[in-house]
Amino acid sequence: MHDPHQAQVLFGLSPMWFAGTVFVISYILIVTEQLNRAVVAMLGASVMVVGGVLNQQAAMQGIDFNTIGLLTGMMIIVAITSESGVFQYLAIKSAKLVKGDPWGILVMLMLVTAFLSALLDNVTTVLLIAPITLLITDTLKLNAYPYLFGEIFASNIGGTATLIGDPPNIMIGSATGLGYNDFLFNLAPIAVFILALTLIPVYLIWGRHLTAEPRLIDKVMSYRERDAIKDPLLLKKSLFVLALVMFGFILGHDVGLEPATIAMLGAAILLALSCLSNSAEEQSAKVTRTLREVEWMTLFFFMGLFILVYGIETTGLLELLAELVLGLTGGDKTVTALSIMYVSATASAIVDNIPFVATMIPLIENMAASFGGSDELIPLWWSLALGSCLGGNGSLVGASANLIVAGFAERSGQPIRFLPFMLLAFPMMMASVFISSVYVYFRYL
Amino acid sequence: MNAAAVMDPNPTFLQSTDTIEKGVEFIMTNRYRSIPVVDEEHCYMGMFGVNCLLKQVIPQAVFHSGLKNVGFIHESLLDLYHRFDEVRHEPISICITQDILPVSPETPLTETLLQLYETRLSIPVVKQGSCKLLGMISYFDVGAKILAAGAAENA
Repeated sequence: MHDPHQAQVLFGLSPMWFAGTVFVISYILIVTEQLNRAVVAMLGASVMVVGGVLNQQAAMQGIDFNTIGLLTGMMIIVAITSESGVFQYLAIKSAKLVKGDPWGILVMLMLVTAFLSALLDNVTTVLLIAPITLLITDTLKLNAYPYLFGEIFASNIGGTATLIGDPPNIMIGSATGLGYNDFLFNLAPIAVFILALTLIPVYLIWGRHLTAEPRLIDKVMSYRERDAIKDPLLLKKSLFVLALVMFGFILGHDVGLEPATIAMLGAAILLALSCLSNSAEEQSAKVTRTLREVEWMTLFFFMGLFILVYGIETTGLLELLAELVLGLTGGDKTVTALSIMYVSATASAIVDNIPFVATMIPLIENMAASFGGSDELIPLWWSLALGSCLGGNGSLVGASANLIVAGFAERSGQPIRFLPFMLLAFPMMMASVFISSVYVYFRYL
Repeated sequence: MNAAAVMDPNPTFLQSTDTIEKGVEFIMTNRYRSIPVVDEEHCYMGMFGVNCLLKQVIPQAVFHSGLKNVGFIHESLLDLYHRFDEVRHEPISICITQDILPVSPETPLTETLLQLYETRLSIPVVKQGSCKLLGMISYFDVGAKILAAGAAENA
């Protein structure tokens, strides 16, 4: 199995043992956050090459540039679009649509968060919505906790619905060739259903008790959402490009255009539009500012991770693990799919779901022969996507967006504590996974 | 020369137990931008400035959330006053800032002036190895001393 393009492992060590050890150490360092995760991934990837598991050419082949390109393109589009103030506009408009009613605002902010998380990425969404949420709850003199809790759930559920909503989906889509429409038609219905059901406990626990003085509601109603739009021309350009990109995602699969191509093309068009009629210096400053907004740390983390996973994949370790999993599930597709979903959800609640999914993808791919071809793996992919995305709701560290929201809560003097959050969030997350498992069982198995 | 040469050894200060109302009245009456705050043992605690007044009247969530786009919030002067009214009786200790680093009397003059230039506010002079406030250095103190030195030479 091991043909790392003819690389030789140091001291004649077993490639499987060497790569496995590097991978496990890297994983432990990532999970325990002893060292920045991007640095760990880059170090681990370098050791795979220096140690001789992969040569440089093979390492580069291991990087999924479709995922990297899609993430980068969307980051650029979001960075430019957010300057227009459209996200604040949406949040304020939604609060005013329900006449400033506290429960109505909670529902609307959850819906806006879920919607934006499906179209953009969760972290950006909560970075834009949480500040407005804090302002509104501060104005209404309400505890922000229910709102922030609801937004955490909405961001992870919304992210589950589309190919671009959450990094696990991007990785799964890229590895399997499942397109935007596949995710939309298969995951969006269950995500919408779960979001609707999530509103029930949120209402019973907090919603029914939320009240605010009329004079404070009047203050919220006095916000002029139109004034949140800082640059109407940029808004028009951004919405035009966003619409083009979404259109491209929907149609691109059929004409052989990968999501990364569409996202990068959209980013380039938007950069060009935003630079028009600016001097060379201004253009340079604008592009530099935009590119600074790209989360390079995340991108380097992904690149390192892909090389790490590719390293263990080439040694045949994942094939062995796949056989082990199949042995445990008795080779039954239903048991395997549901096991993947529940294990993914539990793991994603505890550890970063990105390295987990990066490892699971080749592992599942190795099961194709046992189940009669790659088409038979479809239920397993949906199980992995649902488990890993929804699992992020299980604890405060389950997703990056959760930690961002917790940071805002801390600064506002209303901290979200790990254990109280988990005591409520974990059962709610497991309930959503149970609903998902019923959905997968009846629809695909 | 050092910081001691340009400091005002008898600076005006507020006590940490003074109320925000008193602090605001003081800086508004005397048109100070900031004033040092000391505890009962004359230990330097930080600076109380006009920024504090501004911070109290702007919606607090703006600071907590880092919200930059606030053009949609339209408030009246009365709204701002109500917000100030809620904290006016609080001690100024909740409002002092420690981002202005004190110098010691022995700090070399050029280093002191560079810090003054970069801070753009009067800087406190604190006894090295303790927290006792010994004086303040303002642009005006430095300007007056420089002009006086020139006048002495010309005379």
